[in-house]
Amino acid sequence: MKQHVMGVDFGSTTAKTVILDLNGNIVSHAVAHMGAVSGNGVKQSMKDALDAAGLTQADIGRTVSTGYGRRMLDEADKNYTEITCHARGAVAMVPGARLVIDIGGQDSKVISVDSNGLVSQFAMNDRCAAGTGKFLEVLARAMEIPLEDMGATALAAQEKLKISSMCATFAETEVISLLAEGHPKTDVLGAVHKAIASRTLGLVGRVGKKGPVVMTGGVANNPAAVHYIQEELQMPLILPDVPQIAGALGAALIGLDDYRAENRQLLISEAEDMAREEQMAADKACVPGCRGVPEFAVDPREKQPVPGKLKSLVGSLQKHF
Amino acid sequence: MNIAVKSPFEEKKANKLQSTRIAGKLVNDYWEMVWRAKEEGKLVCWYEGSAINPFLEAADICWVHGEAYSAMLAARHQEGTAQRVAEERGYMRELCSYARTHLGCAVSNQRLRGDNAGATPDEDDLTWKLPPPDMIISAYAYCSTGQQWDEMTSRVFGKKIPIFNVSLPWIWGSKPDAGYLRGQEWEETSTYVERQLFDMVKFIEERTGKPYPWDRLYSMMADIRRASELRLEAMELCTAQPAPASFFDWVVSIAPINNLPVAGVKDYFETVLTEVKQRVKDGEGAVPDEKYRLFFDGIMNWNKVGWLANKFAKWDAAVVAGRYTHMAFWQEPSLIDPNAPVRGMAQNYLICPNNHAAPILIDLIMGLCRKFKVDGMVIHASRTCRAFTNPQFMIADTAHKQLGIPTSMFEGDVTDESFYKDELLNSRVEAMLEAIEHRRMVHAA
Repeated sequence: MKQHVMGVDFGSTTAKTVILDLNGNIVSHAVAHMGAVSGNGVKQSMKDALDAAGLTQADIGRTVSTGYGRRMLDEADKNYTEITCHARGAVAMVPGARLVIDIGGQDSKVISVDSNGLVSQFAMNDRCAAGTGKFLEVLARAMEIPLEDMGATALAAQEKLKISSMCATFAETEVISLLAEGHPKTDVLGAVHKAIASRTLGLVGRVGKKGPVVMTGGVANNPAAVHYIQEELQMPLILPDVPQIAGALGAALIGLDDYRAENRQLLISEAEDMAREEQMAADKACVPGCRGVPEFAVDPREKQPVPGKLKSLVGSLQKHF
Repeated sequence: MNIAVKSPFEEKKANKLQSTRIAGKLVNDYWEMVWRAKEEGKLVCWYEGSAINPFLEAADICWVHGEAYSAMLAARHQEGTAQRVAEERGYMRELCSYARTHLGCAVSNQRLRGDNAGATPDEDDLTWKLPPPDMIISAYAYCSTGQQWDEMTSRVFGKKIPIFNVSLPWIWGSKPDAGYLRGQEWEETSTYVERQLFDMVKFIEERTGKPYPWDRLYSMMADIRRASELRLEAMELCTAQPAPASFFDWVVSIAPINNLPVAGVKDYFETVLTEVKQRVKDGEGAVPDEKYRLFFDGIMNWNKVGWLANKFAKWDAAVVAGRYTHMAFWQEPSLIDPNAPVRGMAQNYLICPNNHAAPILIDLIMGLCRKFKVDGMVIHASRTCRAFTNPQFMIADTAHKQLGIPTSMFEGDVTDESFYKDELLNSRVEAMLEAIEHRRMVHAA
């Protein structure tokens, strides 16, 4: 039995990979920025994660993919939608979360999660990329500012301006107009992030506002987006350490469930293994307590399997067969 | 590592009702008849919305339903030319695409038969083929575009076409005695529309110059009532698991109940009902492996009927009922008295599913979801049909709260496929099915 599983989020602008051990611990993760639904990007992120873990693909027992390119990955044994995987990953990162706000490259989604950590309801952006990472990329280019500097710059906004367009392209026109009117970049960027927040709040309204709220996706790394969404939401956002990998983590956890269920009989603990051997010996012994080696025979009345463990063992076998 | 584009949908297909193939022939025969109407010396009436066609058919007037023509063009993937012509004329893309497509047909018709007569028509292009109207009757429930569409059509034909308007008031349902088919408002509104229909008949008499043949209408409405009963009985049988027919089969069966010549309609639904009964008996489903049962809220993407039917089949999802199919089109046959059908016709026009206040509408939808035991709801938000789309957030919210079922919304359109994005539909419906699956696992545990 192999000792690791992999989740791959084959996203629209980045590829993310998470490798877990069979106890659900993250062994390694990687994020690759390689362009839209890029085969190279996903290869790179998988390679980086495998290298970091000192593994090869042959060491992976189960690979689950998610994201827009989820069906394109030959290595994947199964694929799930990003909604299911982001919810699962976000709740794993922030136990007890009831609302997940995920803003990725091409879409933004708000997922309501029930007390079991399952998707209860979800809403996604429609029509265009307004309010997504792509929206920020387009506007960063229009304003000639590095994408990674946008958030910090926007936090310095003084005057409240408004970007009203639902369309990323027309929002770019609005931004250029505001700059042409002489408004400083800080204020214009403040308006850009405010627009993202109000678009996100529209989605929150559709699934119902409740907390705790966790934010995932690449835009969670943008401090201005977080600030304005919190302001609109009037609730704190909980940010995981690496918010981009929530989808890949969720995919890996689903893969882990699947792999463990399939190999349930191989996953019994040492104590259960001992109990099984003793029970078999007791069932078969021609000499009381003999387990095939008479001189090691133990009187079974002296060492009975623990009832709870026996029950667990029987249950395990029943499920297996 | 090999990254290859794979189609997620490779094998399963919808098990469509065989009997609905007859609908294709009936539709073709009907439009052939329409295209010949002028050569046969018939008066032609263009209308949109409500099914006033029996009034026209009884008077031997050729009836041309705007949405039906646009839908037919879209189903044949021939809508592009008409939409382009309409846009050239100045009708923007946000306008109802039924109206835009049909107006494109009117403009093409004028170019080839009217103001630009002499141009050589392409026989394979259906855009110009409609016979120009001698009259227009506007009888549209709820949709605000309807009357303007008729006015625009009149303008395209030189403002020379007489128009008769039937006003179908919105059912507010706000008085204490109000409810579905009951209350003072319902009775008063029914009387108001009934009176207008009698006036409409006078308008028809003026156009034909003949007394109205009431006996023919009575006979036709007896047949429509029976056809409707048969249709509803067949739909009701889809509470069976697996469902013997799907929402998409009922979409294909809209034309027969809504706008085809009455003579063949009863036979059509008798054949459909027979097949549905046989399928129930045999345990044969509309999808090869029914695993999920869904409700479809929203109007149809006419250029995607077969595509969507197969897509849901591949997901093992039987779309068992829908607002569009199960809450419209002579939906209440018992209201039609074949010996005095006009009031019942008025009432059937009034219960167009867009024409109810939200509490009544949503209550009816939840009732269907319960009856058909659905696991989830897929919602088509039509970009250019806001009439159908307006209450959809409320419908989704109520389904979630009252029934505890997940919903999934995608954007598309009635006849303009540029608004449809396949991957968004895939992701959203698959996510909903995954949520249903996980809930089942939790309940099973």
